[in-house]
Amino acid sequence: MPSSPDHKRGRPSEIPEPQPPEHTLRSPRDSPSSSIPEFDTSISPPSFGSKTTLSSSETRLPITPPTSSISKSRSGSGLRKQSRDRSFASSRDTSPSIPLSDSNQECRQTIVRSFAPRVAVYASPDTEEFIRQKGFHGGLYTLLRPYGERLQGRVIIRDSVGSSKGWDDFGVRFINGQELQRSSARQVEGGSTDLETRSLPNGSQSLSEHRNRSRSDDFTTVIDRLLSQQLHTENAIFDSSKGDYFDYGGRSYEPRPAGSPLYPFYLRKLLSSAPIVPYETFSHPVACMITVSSRHPAPIEALRQLYENTCQGFNKTPTWISTEYLRYYVLIHDEENDDITKTTALFDLMKRHFGLHCHLLRLRSSQCVQTDDDSTRVPSSEWLSAEEEIKQIRSRDYTVDIEDSEKYILESDVTAIGALLREMVAQSIVPFMESRIMTWNDQVASRRRGFSGRFMSLSKRWTGFGSSKVAAFGPGGASTASGSNYDVQRGFYPPETPEAIMRQLADYAFLLRDWKLAHSTYDFLRTEFSHDKAWSYHAAVNEMVAITSLLMSQTYNLKYKMEAIDQMLDTAAYSYLTRCSMPSNVVRCFTLAIELLKNRGTLAADDAARLGGKLLDFGILDPVAQAMTSERIADCYMSRASVIVPNAGTRRRQAALWNILSADSWIKLDNPVQARLCLTEASALYRLRDQQIAGPPFLSMQGFWQKLDRALGEAHNAQSLVDTGVGAGHLEYSTIEETEQLSAFTRPVNAEVVDTEGFTSQDASRPHPNASYDTPLQRDSSE
Amino acid sequence: MSYYFCIVGTQDQPLFELEFGTSKQGGDGVARFSQEARQMNPFIVHSSLDFVDELQWTNSQMYLKRVDQFASSHVSTFLTPTSTRFMLLHLPHPPNTAPQSTPSPNSFPPFTPYTSTPASTTTAGRSSSSSTTSIPNNPTSPQTEEAIRAFFGEVFEIWMKAIMSPFASVEGKLGSPVFRQRVVAAGKKYL
Repeated sequence: MPSSPDHKRGRPSEIPEPQPPEHTLRSPRDSPSSSIPEFDTSISPPSFGSKTTLSSSETRLPITPPTSSISKSRSGSGLRKQSRDRSFASSRDTSPSIPLSDSNQECRQTIVRSFAPRVAVYASPDTEEFIRQKGFHGGLYTLLRPYGERLQGRVIIRDSVGSSKGWDDFGVRFINGQELQRSSARQVEGGSTDLETRSLPNGSQSLSEHRNRSRSDDFTTVIDRLLSQQLHTENAIFDSSKGDYFDYGGRSYEPRPAGSPLYPFYLRKLLSSAPIVPYETFSHPVACMITVSSRHPAPIEALRQLYENTCQGFNKTPTWISTEYLRYYVLIHDEENDDITKTTALFDLMKRHFGLHCHLLRLRSSQCVQTDDDSTRVPSSEWLSAEEEIKQIRSRDYTVDIEDSEKYILESDVTAIGALLREMVAQSIVPFMESRIMTWNDQVASRRRGFSGRFMSLSKRWTGFGSSKVAAFGPGGASTASGSNYDVQRGFYPPETPEAIMRQLADYAFLLRDWKLAHSTYDFLRTEFSHDKAWSYHAAVNEMVAITSLLMSQTYNLKYKMEAIDQMLDTAAYSYLTRCSMPSNVVRCFTLAIELLKNRGTLAADDAARLGGKLLDFGILDPVAQAMTSERIADCYMSRASVIVPNAGTRRRQAALWNILSADSWIKLDNPVQARLCLTEASALYRLRDQQIAGPPFLSMQGFWQKLDRALGEAHNAQSLVDTGVGAGHLEYSTIEETEQLSAFTRPVNAEVVDTEGFTSQDASRPHPNASYDTPLQRDSSE
Repeated sequence: MSYYFCIVGTQDQPLFELEFGTSKQGGDGVARFSQEARQMNPFIVHSSLDFVDELQWTNSQMYLKRVDQFASSHVSTFLTPTSTRFMLLHLPHPPNTAPQSTPSPNSFPPFTPYTSTPASTTTAGRSSSSSTTSIPNNPTSPQTEEAIRAFFGEVFEIWMKAIMSPFASVEGKLGSPVFRQRVVAAGKKYL
């Protein structure tokens, strides 16, 4: 850690009361007329006054880790901030680590990792200029993001009961501060969907209309576009030499790899593309990083300016984002052009002004190329949202030189950034979140949960106990009439209300992987939100209760629990679909539930498959997602296919059905490779090889089977045509072209298979292409 | 409603298959499965045998009621003492009408399950006006359940008579035209 000595040396063990800026600003570069931004953690929620964090409640354990030192930074102010020196990967930590690298475990890990605290980056213009010189045109956050996703070492987190646990895969996500403000402003303009859907009748007719209308800006459609793009490139690079024509007689059968290779990608995109919304705070920033470089003539002033930008001013974040997040100040030192002694002096000054959450980052300013000594490639970001990914692909397509897409950076810079992120996460963000959880749990949650809290809320709700009752029953005065804090007009809870704070508490607990606390808090909020008719909140909270309860207990033996989870998922789906028209959230919610259930072994896989069927029945999945979900269902059933469970049959036949269905979908999506895998699997499940029979068990299945088979054969022929005919440069283009030509040629024979628009209703009076299928029934019925 | 009825032997082989439509509510007794749906039907029925196998150990009744659902199709089952299974797939839709709209690409399965014109032109379409008791289109309603129970009961009787023939075996295909006629009549009577 190159910069930590400076930091340690400069850290005071006791900082006096915040003083007026006129006294503290001694730097010649600073204008004296500034007011120092309040250190953010000292802002307490207005309704709870200044109670100390360290209350003597018996549920709260003292937060001092036995081996670490506490330095109280601000004893004078109401809230105390504990800054613990934590060590990563400390040997004295006895907590269990997560079991790694089980193939079944992978999806669960993806899910857990996807919920990471967000850090908004606000950089001064000179910093952006500096970073651009290094070759990162997207700004500072693009440089930090890949490293934030993979923090080196283990992060130790203490949960609400005081036991600490180390996590190797903890990470943070950097988002662009300006973009955060912009995107959320756009959403506010969009209006509160909650309100406008309220007026709709709950008939299915209006639902489908509504769904169609709102689909255009959904993130699942963006994901779908991205996926189909990926599919085509995948097809283009497909090496047909190793995949010979599908025949179940000749080749030895190999079990299909679980899921298509695209599935993890799809899952990641689904998890990382959620927009910033009021009803869940996962995408709200937990902290923000305010950055200035040593080039700036008045750095302190600049920092103060940036700080003010984050909480007020013209382009502030929308009102439903709580402004009480952590501010972290970073000073970037230019190793090549600036004097380190001057920068250190400046950094000391900065620490005196802004408290402990400061870091000095020393970077070289010159751009690094591949041929430099100790240059390393900048890893690509794993959690790009679908929209960003599409943008990236597009820009890659249009830029001429390939060099631009691969960035290089010096090894020393990597270690500097790594040290910054480690220190920021371990010493600032995680302790900050822990103390927030503790405070909120003490002051808000336990009060609401207790008997008197319930009594109060009940009496507020049912009797005219409060004062604001009289405004009552006018149209729009509904929120005050019910005595709730829900703002019906604008469709959200203001961030300082107990409900919003509890939601944030639960989300923080979830981000810190304290499932138990998160679960109980979500569970409590469920009734609150349904009383207030805050449907988007209600749906989101139901979703999270289901997911936390799936994450929480590792053993799956509770049948009754599944019923509760089912019910909550149904409620969430209903609220999302009919009341708020947010189909993307339903997709995310169910996909998560399917993965988490599948993770729990063979018995739960059955439930997972059932949920998958339900998800498909909603009719909200895009074609690629549909294919992947049906394949996932097949996977779930396949895990049951060979296992003999007492009192429960196998699921061989179900697995076969879903394999057939996904093969059909893949053919429609023009992905013969995956379709072939599915069909091979299905034929194995139908025991075609064992019985030496030419067809599936029912004679009437022949028609469909042969149709799939033939479509695959055609796709194969098209592939080989391309391979022999054209050069590699035109591969992708001509694959599509050839397939289209072929399909146009064969369309009279089997239009349903090849035609991608074959969803339209079929004219059944047309002569049937598959005589072999129709004969038995026709003959029978004519008799 | 359109029906696909199948008798499945113990080795999962189909012994008898029949498609017919509802005769109640002015239906003409003709199945209106669309082309794709007709092709999917045997797959669906075959896959729900998984659930039948599981249910038969916990349910002492011969009529297992609705065992499975795939998209809008429902599958009801009757289990004979010899483990021959009567599977009835029923697809609810208004009689004699075309679907209102083409399905969106996001619906699953991505085709309309039924059409306005009968799928198999050979089944004689006679309009029966004997709609005294109406079966609602809701496949989960108790009326539907009862109607299917009555249908299964009658088919069970016919089936027993058919396999009691010294020339028939339990696992053999049921090709007798008389048997077929009787099943069609039972379908017309109850469904």
